[in-house]
Amino acid sequence: MKKSSIFGLVVIAIAIAVIVSVYSNSSTYGSFKDAEKTTSELHVVGHLNKNKQLTYDATKDANYFSFYMTDNKGEECKVVFTGSKPQDFERSEQIVLTGQMAGNEFHASKILMKCPSKYTQDKVEITEAKATKQASI
Amino acid sequence: MDTAFKGEHLLPGQLGQFFTILAFGSALFAAISYYFAATNPADTSWKRLGRIGTFTNAFSVIGIGACLFYIILNHLFEYYYAWQHSSRALPMHYIISSFWDGQEGSFWLWNFWQGILSCILVWRAKSWESPVLAVVSLSQAVLATMLIGVDFFGARIGSSPFILLREAIDLKAQAPIFATNPDLYHSYLTYIKDGNGMNPLLQNYWMVIHPPTLFLGFASMVVPFAYAIAGLWQKRYKEWVNAAIPYGLFAMMILGTGIIMGAFWAYESLSFGGFWAWDPVENASIIPWLILVGAVHVMIVYKNTGHSYITSTILVLASFILVLYASFLTRSGILGETSVHSFTDAGLFWHLVFDVVLFLLIAVVMLVIRWKELPKTTKDEETYSREFWMFVGAIFLCLSCFHLVVVSSIPVWNAIFGTKLAPPSDPVKHYNIVQASFAVVVTLLTGFTQFLKYKKTDSAKFFISTLVYLVVAVLITLPVIFITGANKLQFVFILIMVGAIYAILANGKVLVDAFKGKFKLAGSAVAHIGFGFIMVGALISAGTSKVISENNTGEIYSKEFVAAKNNPKENIILYKNTPVKMGKYSVTYVGDSISAPNHYFKVNYKHVDASGKIIEEFTLKPNAQANAKMGLIASPDTKHYLFSDLYTHVTYSNAITMNEGEQADGHGEADDDKKYDAPVPYEVAVGDTIHFREGYAILAGLGKVDKLQDIQLEPKDVAIGATLQVVANGKTYSAEPIYMIRGNNAFDFARKVEDAGVKFRFSQVLPKKGKIEISVYQQPESAKKWIVMRAIQFPDINFLWAGTIIMVIGILLSIFRRNKELKTT
Repeated sequence: MKKSSIFGLVVIAIAIAVIVSVYSNSSTYGSFKDAEKTTSELHVVGHLNKNKQLTYDATKDANYFSFYMTDNKGEECKVVFTGSKPQDFERSEQIVLTGQMAGNEFHASKILMKCPSKYTQDKVEITEAKATKQASI
Repeated sequence: MDTAFKGEHLLPGQLGQFFTILAFGSALFAAISYYFAATNPADTSWKRLGRIGTFTNAFSVIGIGACLFYIILNHLFEYYYAWQHSSRALPMHYIISSFWDGQEGSFWLWNFWQGILSCILVWRAKSWESPVLAVVSLSQAVLATMLIGVDFFGARIGSSPFILLREAIDLKAQAPIFATNPDLYHSYLTYIKDGNGMNPLLQNYWMVIHPPTLFLGFASMVVPFAYAIAGLWQKRYKEWVNAAIPYGLFAMMILGTGIIMGAFWAYESLSFGGFWAWDPVENASIIPWLILVGAVHVMIVYKNTGHSYITSTILVLASFILVLYASFLTRSGILGETSVHSFTDAGLFWHLVFDVVLFLLIAVVMLVIRWKELPKTTKDEETYSREFWMFVGAIFLCLSCFHLVVVSSIPVWNAIFGTKLAPPSDPVKHYNIVQASFAVVVTLLTGFTQFLKYKKTDSAKFFISTLVYLVVAVLITLPVIFITGANKLQFVFILIMVGAIYAILANGKVLVDAFKGKFKLAGSAVAHIGFGFIMVGALISAGTSKVISENNTGEIYSKEFVAAKNNPKENIILYKNTPVKMGKYSVTYVGDSISAPNHYFKVNYKHVDASGKIIEEFTLKPNAQANAKMGLIASPDTKHYLFSDLYTHVTYSNAITMNEGEQADGHGEADDDKKYDAPVPYEVAVGDTIHFREGYAILAGLGKVDKLQDIQLEPKDVAIGATLQVVANGKTYSAEPIYMIRGNNAFDFARKVEDAGVKFRFSQVLPKKGKIEISVYQQPESAKKWIVMRAIQFPDINFLWAGTIIMVIGILLSIFRRNKELKTT
C-alpha cells in the first residue's frame, strides 16, 4: 500500500473521530420538563417572566442571581445563576440557558440573552420640539 | 413627493444609490470583458474595456463611501444607516468607525479593498491580468449586489445603506401622531433629534482599525483563488502557484493580524474575561485562515518538489469558499441562538447562500473539467523528506479547521436536517481539548520538519538532531510549566508546550543558519518562532489565569450547592472606601470619575508587605456607560506587567444611574434628604467632636462668610460658616455648612462629604449655651456605593502579542523573498 493511502486512511479516521466527539459532546435543546428527566446539561430557550421576582442583591451575595423563566412550552421554573446579574437582563426578549435541574430549581451555568433592541433598535425616539425651534429647513 | 418632506437632503443618497448601481454594472462589465479578453488574447480591445470597468468600479465604490461618509458626518438622520449607527455625540474617530458598524458598511469595506486589489492586479498581474481579473471582478460584482437594495420582481436584492429612515421604519406606526396629522408627518425630521449611536462596546480605538484589517484579509483571499481558477482555465497548471504564493502570504499575514487584533480587543475592552471564547463569529474568521496557512505550505511544497499539486489547488479554492461560508454564517442570522455577536439577518440569507454556491460551483466545475490533465506525481514522497511532512502538517491544519466548521455549523446542520442539536454545553472546554490535539501535531511538525530537506534526507542524521532538540525542549518545558503552574493542566496542553518550545528551538537553529548566509530561510523561521510564542502565550495565560476576586461570603447558597458545582465564585462586592483582600493585593473602591458618557470606577490596588510598607500601588479605572438606549455596558481595565496582566471588570454597581451625564443639579433639598437616615442633631462648641458610623468630625471653628456658592449675598445678610474637619476611612476632608440670616428669616446650606456618605447641616445657633447645632445625615448602609467586580490575573499573555508581531515580521520577510524569486525566474 502506498504511504499516501495509509495517510489518507488516518485522516479519514481522525475526521470520523472528530464528528463522533462533536456529536457526543453536543447538547440538546429542551424544555424544563426534559431537564427534569435528565442529569446531563442541556439548553433551554425561553423568556423572562417579568411579573415575578428577580433576585439579585449584591450586598448579600454578589454571586447569586435568581429569576423565573417561562420556556417555549409555557412551563415556568425558577432559575439560579452563579454570578452577577447580566446587565440589562430585564430588557431581554429571549434567553438561552445552559444548565441542569437541581430539585425544583434550574441551575444555569451560562445565560445567553438576546436583546434585539440592542443591536437593531428600530424604535424611533420622538422628542417633542417646540414650534419655535422648527426653523431648520 | 420628494419635496413633501421638510428638511431632507436627498441628493447624497441618490448619488450614493447611483454609485451602488454603477459599481455593480461596472464590475459585471469588467468581468465579462476580461472573460473575452482571456478567451481571445489576440484582441486587446477587450482587455482595455476590462480595465475601464475595473477603474470605474473602484471609482464608484469610493463614491459610495464618500456619499455614505458625507451622510454620517453631517448627521443626516433621514438616512436609516446614519440614524441607526451614529449620533451627534460621537467623536470623529468613532464617526469613521460607525461607518462599518452595520452589515452594509462592512460589505462596503470588503468591496473597497477588493476594488483596490483589482487595481493593483491590473498593474502587476501582467500575463495573468485577464483571467485573474475576470474572477476577481465577478466576485466584486456579486459583492456589489449586496449593496444595491433594489426591488427585483418583488424580492429585494441586497441591502442599501442609502435607505431613508421613513422607508425603513413605519414612522406612522411608531408615533400615532404622525398618522393623524399629515403636516407633522411631513416635517417628521424636526422630531428626529439624534441617531441611535454606536454600541458603547464598539466605541473603542480597535473598532477603528480591526474591521478594515480583517476585511482586507478577507478581500485579499480572492486573489490566490482567482489565480487557481485562472491556472485551471488557461491550462497554465504549473505557473499559477508561483505567482499566487506572495498573495497567499499577504492574505495570511493580514487576516492573521486582523484576527489577533480582534482577540486583543476582546481582551482589552470586552467583558469576555479572556482573549478567545470560541464564539462562532471568532471561529468564522479563523476557519479560512487555517486552510490558507495549509494552502500556502503545500504551494511551497509544489514549487520546490512538484508534489502536492492537487492538494494546493483544492486548498486554495477551499480557503476562499470558506471566506464566503464564514460571511454566510455571521451575516445570515443563522447563528442566532449560539452566538452573542453575530449580525441579525438583513434579508440576505439566500443571497449569501447564492454567493457561496456560485463560487463553489465554479471551483468544482473547473476541477472536474481539468481533472485528467492536472499534473500528478506517480512517485510516492520519501518518508524522510520535508515535502511529505509539510503535507501532513497542512492536512492537520485542515482537520483542525474541519472540526471548527462542524461545531460552528451546528445551527446549519439543524436547519438542513431538521435536527435539534445544541452546541456543546461547555464549548470552551470542548474546543480547547480537540484543537489542542491538533495543535500538538502541528507544533511538533513545525519543529522537526526543519531538520528535513526537500527530496531526501539522511535518516540517521535527522533522528539525531531531532532527538537532541526534543530532549532540550522537554528540559526547558519542565521548569517553565512548574514555575507558571501549567503542570496542573491536562496532559495534552503540556504536550503543546513541548511542541511549541520545540518549534521555537528548531526554527531558532534555522534562523542562526540564516544569519550565517542562508538568509532566504529567515522569513519562515521567524514566522514559525512567532507561532511558537503565540502558542506558549495562549497556553500559559488561558491555562493558568487565576480569578483573584474569589468570594466565599455568599449567604444564600447551601454548602452542598457550592461543593457540587465546585464553582469558584468570581464576583466580589466592594463598598466604597472599604478595602478587601484579594490575592496579594488590598483592593479598595475609592470613587468615581465621570466623563460623559463614561463612568469610571476608581479601583485602588495596594500591595503591602508584612511590615506594612507599600510595595506597589496603582489605580485601575474600569468603566461603564449607562446608555439610555442600550443599557448598562461595562468595559474592563487592565494593569499590564511584562509577565502578567491584572484584569479588572465591574459587573454591577449601584453607583451608576441612567443618563447621569444629563442629570440636572437642581434636586430638591427634601428629595435629597430621603437618601439619608433621619438626621441626628448635635450641640457642639468649637473643638468638640461628633462621631458617626464612618468616622468623626471636629468643629474647628466658626467664622463669618463673605461669599457663598449657593446664593448672592446682600449687604445686610449675615452668614456664618462652621468649619468641620471630617475624618473617615483614614482620610481627612473639610466641610463648611453655612447658617444665614436674611431679614427675619434663617436659612442654611448643607454640605456633603460624598466619600464618607455623610451630610452636615448648620441647623441652629444657640447663643445662650455658646454652642451651635449641627445635624448629621448619614447614608444608610444599603445606600452606600458599591461595585461588584471580577479580577483575573493573566500570566505571560505578552508572549501571545509579541509572538504575533514576530510572526507578521516573518511572513513579511517571506513575501519579499517570494516576490524576488518571481522576478528572477
